[in-house]
Amino acid sequence: MAGLTLRSVRKNYGEVPVIKGVDLDIAHGEFVVFVGPSGCGKSTLLRMIAGLEDISDGQIGIGDRVVNDIEPRDRGVAMVFQSYALYPHMSVYDNVGFGLKLAGTPRDIRDRKIREAAKVLQMEHLLDRRPAQLSGGQRQRVAIGRAIVRQPDVFLFDEPLSNLDAALRGDMRMELARLHRDLDATMIYVTHDQVEAMTLADKIVVLDAGIVQQVGSPLDLYNRPANLFVAGFIGAPKMNLVSARVAAVDDSGLTLASDALGAPVVLPGGIAAANGDGVTLGIRPHDLQVESNGPFRGPVQLVERLGNETIIRIALSDGVELTAALPGQGAFAIGSTIALGLRPEAAHIFDASGMRL
Amino acid sequence: MKTALSNTLVARGLIILLMIVTLLPFIAMFSAALAPQGTYPNGLQWPTDPQWGNFVRAFEVSKMDQLLLSSTLIVLGVVPISVLIATMAGYGLAKLTTNKYKWLYLVFVFGLTLPFEAVITPLYYEVRALGLLNTRFAIILPLIGLYMPFGVYWMRAHFLNVPHDLTEAAQLDGATRWKEFWLVQVPLARPAIMSLTILLFLWTWNQFLLPVVLVQDPMQRTMAGALGAFQGQWGTDIPLLCAGALLILAPTIVLFLMFQRQFVAALMQGAVKG
Repeated sequence: MAGLTLRSVRKNYGEVPVIKGVDLDIAHGEFVVFVGPSGCGKSTLLRMIAGLEDISDGQIGIGDRVVNDIEPRDRGVAMVFQSYALYPHMSVYDNVGFGLKLAGTPRDIRDRKIREAAKVLQMEHLLDRRPAQLSGGQRQRVAIGRAIVRQPDVFLFDEPLSNLDAALRGDMRMELARLHRDLDATMIYVTHDQVEAMTLADKIVVLDAGIVQQVGSPLDLYNRPANLFVAGFIGAPKMNLVSARVAAVDDSGLTLASDALGAPVVLPGGIAAANGDGVTLGIRPHDLQVESNGPFRGPVQLVERLGNETIIRIALSDGVELTAALPGQGAFAIGSTIALGLRPEAAHIFDASGMRL
Repeated sequence: MKTALSNTLVARGLIILLMIVTLLPFIAMFSAALAPQGTYPNGLQWPTDPQWGNFVRAFEVSKMDQLLLSSTLIVLGVVPISVLIATMAGYGLAKLTTNKYKWLYLVFVFGLTLPFEAVITPLYYEVRALGLLNTRFAIILPLIGLYMPFGVYWMRAHFLNVPHDLTEAAQLDGATRWKEFWLVQVPLARPAIMSLTILLFLWTWNQFLLPVVLVQDPMQRTMAGALGAFQGQWGTDIPLLCAGALLILAPTIVLFLMFQRQFVAALMQGAVKG
């Protein structure tokens, strides 16, 4: 097992840069999730670590070795593909043991390792089957088995759960978390699903347009997003973003005003903003509550009743829509006007360039 | 319902008509082969006294056993090597060639447009210069070359359809390119390889032009090529000629009956691969 370092890693396809200088340190045993929208470069970065894509510039180190010019098979990594990439002509047993066979592992040791992996993944009864005879979840287990049996330094997962249905995805997520705990392995996981990112990761790397936007623990990212992109990307439902200007700054705090706001919003001090500055106010839907004199007032546009909570969307006076996740099963009628307030300490303020203040 | 039924009837009728058109020449040959020696059979006419001995005589005079051996040797010389080279080249062109060298494939496509007949004269001089005229190598070596465009085209089409993830998974599992080829790609290509083998077998077995031009001794030719010599020698004895022709056809028919499913699969594969 080993950690991983990325130094100014870049990737260009011809003239087009897709990874624009990534620096990252991953400690041994960490579960790191690369998250971002489609096309942000997260899979490319993973494939560069695996050695399946050349590196245009920079340096990738696994353990104490620089692996830029080392073949994928010699990097000490194993990868689980989105498509599972099982060999259709081999049984589950042979699929799992293929890497060991290539490495010249003696037959008895190979057999023991395959059966151990099958036991860990609860797929001992599937060993004689072909991939075509397996369900999606079972194939996923085989793909993971193929990875763990080789005892690599680093496990790479490329959106491994995206082909499974929602219920199975939940189960597999828990299994992966258990596997990480049991194996004490360094794992890098790519997903566009932020629930997977939040639940699995020790550390999340948010990428957009080939640039790392923020690196941190899931709660770091949720509580203190570094910029508007991260604020909008992490958290479901998405954070509400309302343009405002600083109306007053004094010892007691910061007062924000805007055409969209029915009343000024007063926030605690310690925010580096000057009077008159244009800012963006970010409020998570779960931080809003019904408040008769709250600053956000407008007609209800949408009501989604989830049982334990109710999601509503209201339209503010300047047309901006605001989503609130309210506890319980409140009776909201579409078209009726309501007012929402926020807990001031839960507000996020971003400057004109989108960076957190 | 009525339309569906009438459509089925029309379709069946057409199929039966096609079958008759296809089989009629063979039935005519068969009836002619049974006619007494020295007669001139009049098309489809079942002889009053069928001369089954014509087949025995044709077998003897055409030295069918030697021809069978010769054809088999030629097929064994051509097909395995052609399939092996085409598989490796197809894999290389589909999986290992960068965009810069994609044009290499066009060379093979160009080869597809060349009819055998167009190259037969230069081929004759080339084979003569190599001192291979009148040997089975005069058939084997040119055929391997002439089959390459199709073989490579066929196998490349297969390898293009193999998901790239499998290649990458094999690489990460520790496979060299060579091992990946033998342990992952070739087993997956088995249907395509089988189809190609069947098609190349058929074309080699039925090869007529090359043996006739490049090999004088009928015993060194393919069975179909030997038919040319047989025809020259026994051209006036129609029943014997028909019996000989049917005998020459027989191995192909027997093999077809044995591997019917694979033959049809091979031809169907061609239909969808394009």
